[in-house]
Amino acid sequence: MKEVEIIVGRRSIREVNEEIKAAVLSGQSVYVRETLSRHNLGVGLPASAKVRFEGSVGYYCGGLNNGAILEIERNAGWGTGEGMSDGHITINGYAGMATGASMLGGTIHIKGDSGPRCGVAMKGGTIIVEGKLGYQSGFMSHAGRIIALGGAGVSCADALWAGEVWVVGAIESLGVDTKIVEPQPEEVDSVESQLSQYGLEDSSREWQKIVSGERLWYFESREASAWLMI
Amino acid sequence: MAHDLNKSYQFPFEPPSEEDIAFNDNAIPNRPAGVPSSYDEGGSTRWTPDAIAEVQALAQLGRYQVRGYNTFNKRLPTFDDLTFVPATMTRLPLEGYRESCNTTTILGGGTGRVEKPIELKIPVYIASMSFGALSASAKTALGYGASKVGTMTCTGEGGMLDEERQASQCLVYQMTPSRYGVDINHLRQADGFELVMGQGAKPGTGGLLLGMKVSPRVSMMRKLPEGVDQRSTVRHPDFLGADDLAVKIEELRLATDFRIPIFVKIGATRPRYDVAIAAKAGADVVVVDGAEGGTGASPELLLNHTGIPTLSAIKPAREALDECGMTGKVSLVISGGIRSGVDAAKCLALGADAVMIGNAAMIALGCNSPRYEQDYKKLGTSPGACHHCHTGLCPVGITTQDPELEKRVDIAASAERVARFLTAITMEITMLAKSCGKSSVHNLESEDLRALSLEASALTGVKMVGMDKVFAW
Ligand code: SF4
Repeated sequence: MKEVEIIVGRRSIREVNEEIKAAVLSGQSVYVRETLSRHNLGVGLPASAKVRFEGSVGYYCGGLNNGAILEIERNAGWGTGEGMSDGHITINGYAGMATGASMLGGTIHIKGDSGPRCGVAMKGGTIIVEGKLGYQSGFMSHAGRIIALGGAGVSCADALWAGEVWVVGAIESLGVDTKIVEPQPEEVDSVESQLSQYGLEDSSREWQKIVSGERLWYFESREASAWLMI
Repeated sequence: MAHDLNKSYQFPFEPPSEEDIAFNDNAIPNRPAGVPSSYDEGGSTRWTPDAIAEVQALAQLGRYQVRGYNTFNKRLPTFDDLTFVPATMTRLPLEGYRESCNTTTILGGGTGRVEKPIELKIPVYIASMSFGALSASAKTALGYGASKVGTMTCTGEGGMLDEERQASQCLVYQMTPSRYGVDINHLRQADGFELVMGQGAKPGTGGLLLGMKVSPRVSMMRKLPEGVDQRSTVRHPDFLGADDLAVKIEELRLATDFRIPIFVKIGATRPRYDVAIAAKAGADVVVVDGAEGGTGASPELLLNHTGIPTLSAIKPAREALDECGMTGKVSLVISGGIRSGVDAAKCLALGADAVMIGNAAMIALGCNSPRYEQDYKKLGTSPGACHHCHTGLCPVGITTQDPELEKRVDIAASAERVARFLTAITMEITMLAKSCGKSSVHNLESEDLRALSLEASALTGVKMVGMDKVFAW
């Protein structure tokens, strides 16, 4: 089926999003042009159709995504794919703060660097960052996996729950209550196989897998001294 | 006879014994009769028994104390410092037992942005209390009770339960900074959406749910490892300031197709500024939760020593809406320690459009009721004094995730009690409103009140009794 073109320009975002949603629901691919880095484009899309965004987008593009396959040609603002439950988002450039915040499922693929607090409070799904992972990424992540190929900024994986952060390259500092563990070969295989979907597999990598130190998990009810480490 | 001052005087009789002088049957040697001894009774104003116990507890625990319920601070001003001045000669009262008084309450209808504003039959609804803090049965009973009288409930931060959605005809879906259980499929089933920026019991801090309550179902809904102490984030992950909040609210509107109102809930700290910011950022309803608000668990110091009392938060919140031209557009909901229709009526008179009750609804459900006394005893408390929601061992099954304890919530009977309580407090409100000559509870005004203390007058802008003017400086 032919790709539908939708022009954003200075039009109301409500109108633009309604058009995108209608096209997606009828199974058509969409090319959203003249995005002008505007906020809230393609929020809460329900179906698995493809939507491309010309240039860069503002805040919350693909927020609460529920199955659509989005591609942003250049950079993305804050909270791209926040709360998404299903689908796929590709950011060809760099990402702003809190990409994939609190996401439940699906995958976000950032080709450049991520902004700070990428995958904050995420509860499932995968985020792949080809560049560097911004500071305090994975903060309090409950579940899911963040994979970074270009190192990580300070306070990496701060106070995470049962999420995992996988990093290749320098980590400026680890966040509180975290530890680096030796990954099992089958876990490495599963990460590499996720990467192979993007042609990024490389068996010679030295992975650092960061998980929770679990000292803060039982603080109030059991382990009183844990908090002193902060 | 001149007395020689240089010579010591002697009684002309035998000197008395020390025992006879003490005149106390030798009960307390060396102490005059009737004078309490600081040695025996203490009485330090700094080191009261409570203060000593606090130090001892901290010295043992190595951390702050945690508990549920609400503030124990004895010095907060209360609604009891206001009294109604019903109509007499200058105004006509309505017949309290006969004439009608409108109680319909619309939330989010004034901005014109919302397709389906919330319409309630009464000006009171049930506060957001999470599944996790409360048992599923308690949530469900609250839902049915509210539905019966035409009002609503709110999910709280733990996500939406199917049974709650079914029970509650009007349900507000809450999104806290931690975003537990936030799922677009549930969002689409909600009648309203509440973005939480803080809560009255512990503003400036995220939620707390101790491991005892992180049951398999709670853990599944919140995506938490089972049995961990959940300390929620306090800042939203994807916005920081007022400008971002405006973009976020727009996103939520787009995600819900401009169908339902967006609530913003704040803990009362600086209501004048916070309410103005929320209203300008695009909220349809602003909820201000005072320091007396309840909670399932919190560090005790935050309960007792943070936030401002509900009584003092209403006037600045209403003035903020007036000042930015939002009165009549953005609705104002007040909560935090509202115990009765009288308290609620005072909130309405001071400027609230609706009132939210949490603890009061739980007590109607059965909290602190005199049953299962042995179980209260095991917690070291008794019915009427219980504040042990944090333990997950609620004797009446309300704030627990233990399946056996939860069975103690009889959903039908509890729902009926909640419905009757809501009916009764609505009657209390209309009775006061009619005595003040109001044909709608929303016509109650500050002029219908007088303050019994200078403090209450200064805090609320209500005229002081006797002086008939507002105490201000
Ligand atoms: S009875 Fe239950 S709900 Fe009430 S204070 Fe005690 S533990 Fe909390």
